[in-house]
Amino acid sequence: MNVLIIEDEKALAHELELFLVKNNYICEICYNGIAASEKIAINLYDFILLDLGLPDYEGLDLLKEAKKANPEAACIILTARAEVNDRVKGLDLGADDYLAKPFSLLELQSRMQAIIRRKFGVIQNVIELEGFFVNLTDRTITHHDTPVAAITKKEFDLIAYMLLHKNRTLTRAQLSEHIWGSLINDDYDSNFIDAHIKNIRKKLSAFAPADWLETVRGLGYRIKTNV
Amino acid sequence: MKLQTKLTLFNAISKLVIVTLFILLLPNIIENINKSYTDSRLVKQKDKLLQYVRDKGINYYMEDGQSYGSYLPLKEEYISLAEVEPNYYLDTIKYEKRLVERDTIDYRILSHTFKVDKSNYLLEIGKSSETIGETTGPLQNIAFQILLGMILLTILADQIFSSYILRPLSTIIRTKLIGNKFPKFTVYKEVKTTTSDFQHLDISIHKMVETIETKFQKEREFISNASHELMTPISILQSKIENMFEQDDIADELKVRLLEMQKILNRLKSITKTLLLISQIENEQFLKEDTITVKELVEDVYEEISIRLQDRNISLALLVIDDVTLVNVNKFLLFNLLFNLINNAIKYNRPNGEITVTGQWVKDYYTISITDTGIGIPEEELPYIFNRFKKLKQSLSQDSFGLGLPIVMSIATFHKIGIIVNSEKGTGSTFTLTFPIKLTGNAPAK
Repeated sequence: MNVLIIEDEKALAHELELFLVKNNYICEICYNGIAASEKIAINLYDFILLDLGLPDYEGLDLLKEAKKANPEAACIILTARAEVNDRVKGLDLGADDYLAKPFSLLELQSRMQAIIRRKFGVIQNVIELEGFFVNLTDRTITHHDTPVAAITKKEFDLIAYMLLHKNRTLTRAQLSEHIWGSLINDDYDSNFIDAHIKNIRKKLSAFAPADWLETVRGLGYRIKTNV
Repeated sequence: MKLQTKLTLFNAISKLVIVTLFILLLPNIIENINKSYTDSRLVKQKDKLLQYVRDKGINYYMEDGQSYGSYLPLKEEYISLAEVEPNYYLDTIKYEKRLVERDTIDYRILSHTFKVDKSNYLLEIGKSSETIGETTGPLQNIAFQILLGMILLTILADQIFSSYILRPLSTIIRTKLIGNKFPKFTVYKEVKTTTSDFQHLDISIHKMVETIETKFQKEREFISNASHELMTPISILQSKIENMFEQDDIADELKVRLLEMQKILNRLKSITKTLLLISQIENEQFLKEDTITVKELVEDVYEEISIRLQDRNISLALLVIDDVTLVNVNKFLLFNLLFNLINNAIKYNRPNGEITVTGQWVKDYYTISITDTGIGIPEEELPYIFNRFKKLKQSLSQDSFGLGLPIVMSIATFHKIGIIVNSEKGTGSTFTLTFPIKLTGNAPAK
């Protein structure tokens, strides 16, 4: 998949590129709006990651241009100016998602995956894990045909997120950012991820041992699967 | 006490004192007036009589050549003429008693001796003191009534005038001082007055308000800009750490250290995001267009927070019975408001403690109280709990950077929700939110 990264912070643009290339995306970078405007007019992209706060260009104008020249492309707005109105405006102008800086690269990837699933329908929606079936569309888990009813919304979010990044160790910080990202509170270091994982394990083990949900000592958790 | 009341009271009291003094002195004054009037009348009568005597001769009165006497039927006045020793001399006016037809009566008597044809005569003209004094009472009454009326009139006039002249002052107080909530930029509206002191006051107050508002504005802008500017570097660092973490050739020991860096970065991120949120709320960048029932709101928070309750084995009782719908609110912010209050109730609770969330109507207002069985807040620290980065002694053991309650306060202020804190050290705290009628509608009729 082709991704155009429009970001004037070179360091950040490089990290984005590094991460996406590793995850099999093909990337191009523009450090300013004028270059981006040209690239958008000429090339076709699957994803356009757009920093709204460009020094030389009105970000929302660029978004309009992108939607015109690349109607198939999915646009994700990245911005440090997390003004409430910007978000609404961006989504009104046809942006597919909006990520406020600072964001986790994993979060970016999961948003991109969600768009792919929604737009292109190429991602598997039911994933099997040793007898458990996780349905990402219905947001349900079944053990063969028996639903695992007790799984809460938060617990499902955690499983789905780990599944999206399967075979990769996710730190507690990354997991909490995903499920509590929008929550503004006074804590740091509080780790309720462990409590959630404990609950998930307890609920799943009523059906079968869920050994695929691994604790990576000292680091975090991961879902191990060959599928 | 209001200035106008004070002025009016002073006026009334000072006038009353003066008038009372005057009324008390009045009998003396009137008596003196009466006396001198009577005396001058007696002298006039004497002069008239002496004139008669000169014109018509003494025998006109003294038929028997020895004495003459005459009095009014009620004996209030009398005149007597009598021949006396040639050397006898008298010319006085004084009070004396006289026996008239068996009645002893007090008179003011003019005694005067004069000579006619080598004979010496004594003239006495008397006026009973009773008739002299009889006007005193009515006069006093009339004076009292007139004065009282005048006082009332002047008090009324004072009242009207002082209220007129002080009106600009009360306008200044009403429009510029009371209910003028900081920080809010208002356009200068001149208070019309011809009193230069008030003009001065008005302008000074306005200038002060303006200065304070500018300072507030600058502080808000600074926080907003600073936190925005911090977002990009944090973002770069976060991406770098995440990318390093993904690298296969990094040893686990190094990964643990990266993890620690990530945690610290998260802390920085939380603080920055929270400061940004507070500045966005204070700059009124959030819309208040959501409608949500209190039950939904509380249940959403419960769902989010239940893992924390479970973690510390704390029980939460939700006593929200009435169906109350909140209108014109921001759901996201209200959620965070309640979340932070309940989260605090968990953090500062004792293990196996309890939390009660009660929603109820108190008179016309809907209130939500959050009561915990925690460590409580000592009285001397209560005034500071909403200050940013203020860490209280007992909270030092908790993972907190001192922004939980400031968020609560700014969200509450944004929605005009009142917060009251009751706390007893060692027993627990109660935070009570009072919603304005605008958000809840009126209380159901009982």
